[in-house]
Amino acid sequence: MRILVVEDESKVAKALSDGLGAERYEVRVASTGEEGFFLVNHESFDLVLLDLMLPGRGGLEVLATLRKRGLQTPVLVLTAKDTVEDRVQGLDLGADDYLVKPFAFPELLARIRALLRRGRLDQVLRLHHDDLEVDLVTRKVTRAAQPLELTAKEFEILEYLLRHAGRVVSREMLARDVWQVTARATPLDNVIDVTIARLRRKVDDPFSNKLIHTVRGVGFVLGQESR
Amino acid sequence: MTLRPRSVRTRLTLWHAGVLAAVVCAFSGAIFFFVRVQLYRDLDAQLGHDLATVERTYREDPTDLREAESRAGIGLFEVVGDGAVLYRTDAWAQAGFEHAARDHREAAPFSWSTPGGKPYRLQTLASPAPGIRISVAKDESAVRRTLRILGLILALGIPCAVALAIAGGHFLAGRVLAPVGAMAERARRITVESLDARLPVEDPGDEFGRLAGVFNETLARLQDSFERLRRFTADASHELRTPLTAIRSVGEVALQGSLDPPAYREVIGSMLEEVERLTRLVESLLTLTRADSGRLRPAREIVDLGALAGSAAEHLRVLAEEKEQVLSVDAGAVVRAECDPAMVRRGIVNLVDNAIRYTPAGGAIRLTVRVLASGEAAVEVSDNGPGIAPVHQARIFERFYRVDSDRSKSSGGTGLGLAIARSVVAANGGRIELESAEGRGSLFRVVLPAG
Repeated sequence: MRILVVEDESKVAKALSDGLGAERYEVRVASTGEEGFFLVNHESFDLVLLDLMLPGRGGLEVLATLRKRGLQTPVLVLTAKDTVEDRVQGLDLGADDYLVKPFAFPELLARIRALLRRGRLDQVLRLHHDDLEVDLVTRKVTRAAQPLELTAKEFEILEYLLRHAGRVVSREMLARDVWQVTARATPLDNVIDVTIARLRRKVDDPFSNKLIHTVRGVGFVLGQESR
Repeated sequence: MTLRPRSVRTRLTLWHAGVLAAVVCAFSGAIFFFVRVQLYRDLDAQLGHDLATVERTYREDPTDLREAESRAGIGLFEVVGDGAVLYRTDAWAQAGFEHAARDHREAAPFSWSTPGGKPYRLQTLASPAPGIRISVAKDESAVRRTLRILGLILALGIPCAVALAIAGGHFLAGRVLAPVGAMAERARRITVESLDARLPVEDPGDEFGRLAGVFNETLARLQDSFERLRRFTADASHELRTPLTAIRSVGEVALQGSLDPPAYREVIGSMLEEVERLTRLVESLLTLTRADSGRLRPAREIVDLGALAGSAAEHLRVLAEEKEQVLSVDAGAVVRAECDPAMVRRGIVNLVDNAIRYTPAGGAIRLTVRVLASGEAAVEVSDNGPGIAPVHQARIFERFYRVDSDRSKSSGGTGLGLAIARSVVAANGGRIELESAEGRGSLFRVVLPAG
């Protein structure tokens, strides 16, 4: 999978390049809009990460030109502006998704996976990890054949963690995808932490092999973090 | 375009002088007219008297007319009968009245000047007897002179009076307006550094006193908002510096020695936690800034407030359960409000979170949705926690304001929750009221326009 990163801030560009490289993506970095435009036209990429605040030709302009030329590659826009107008403008011009800076790296990875997966419908009815079994249809959860009683939110979190098994899930991802809340606020973070703690009590406490781990400062991971 | 002098003093003076000039002119005109009428009436009365004397004399004995001239002192008259002069005094003949008397046939007195310019008053009595006409004249020069002198006095007096009016008006306007100048001078010297200065109020009852009072109130509000801004800036920089300091020192200390990978992960994780805190803080501040600048535009719709309160309570129920608190929602009949549900929900969530945070374990938090007597819709968030002392109640919605800094640190809030709640509710045309007594819990009431 080849990803083009168009980002002028060299520190951010290097972090993105290293992080994505560690996830076994092939990364090219362009530091200006013109360079990005040139690379997209001369090489083929599976995904473009586009910063909107670029010197010279702005990200939105590059995006509009690319889409006008019929480029189909998914584009994930990175922006420090988070007003609704900015988002709508970006999506109108052909961005497939956007992420507001500062973002959590696990969330970026999740979005990239989602964009690359798009179109492929993977209907899964059952999820499992080790001796943990989750039936998405009957919403029954068992561990080592023992049934677990989960609340609706706990179930949703567990399902989300299982779908991202082995990868870190940030609080932002849980807030947006499980609680459907975009604005981050202190109460929600506490709610997330408490709910995860309760989920752990049910899923992990009775067993010696712990499945849900906290990654300090980043979020949570189910199973061993893959790296 | 109107010509408008820039100084109020000049305008007042001109108005003053203008009005006075008009009054003096009208008054002088009236006096002149009255005196003139009076003088001529006297003259005409004498004329009439003379005419009657001549007529009586003629009727009694026409030959006595010469005697009437000498005895009664009537020097100017003539009696004409059928075109022939029956009697004419010498003075009459000299003055050349024959033309004047012949031209004027009416009975009323009239003025006539000789070709030499001497003014006379004449009256003619036609046919006291058939074919007889009697004319009498009197010298009018004295009347004319009196009127001329009066006119001269008035013509010279009016400009003097107007000049006096201008000078007096200018002086008076200056005196009246002097406090304005003094106030302007004082106000000019008030700067951001000396916002505590106030204008002197000599008499709070008069116009200038009220103006100074209003100005002082404005100054007080300005001073208050400057003070809050200063405090907010100091608080914000403190809140922003704390995580930055932590990140920096944790990183620097970690670089001093060589650690094993798990220890580095710990260090980086700790730094990321602070980054998280900073991010949340910046986002909260941005929300408040948007609300301040009016960019927080609510998408209003008719909302079932009971359902909204219920969803906010459910959202935080786990937190209350962790503290073994009872969180209940009391929504009877459907209460509708017109507001942006996401924004108002955020406000209610912040209030409930605040209640859970400061109510001790085992307490009770109650959400009541109802219609107020005023017809407005309301959500009340009440708790049986420690309550808020009156000194803190007015300031509890201020940014970063904390009733007890130690307690808040351990409870982990940003100190912006209530400020945000108030901002989002205000942006929806509502308000938050607080009722609290120390030791008897608090009640926050979100009041919204009914839908």
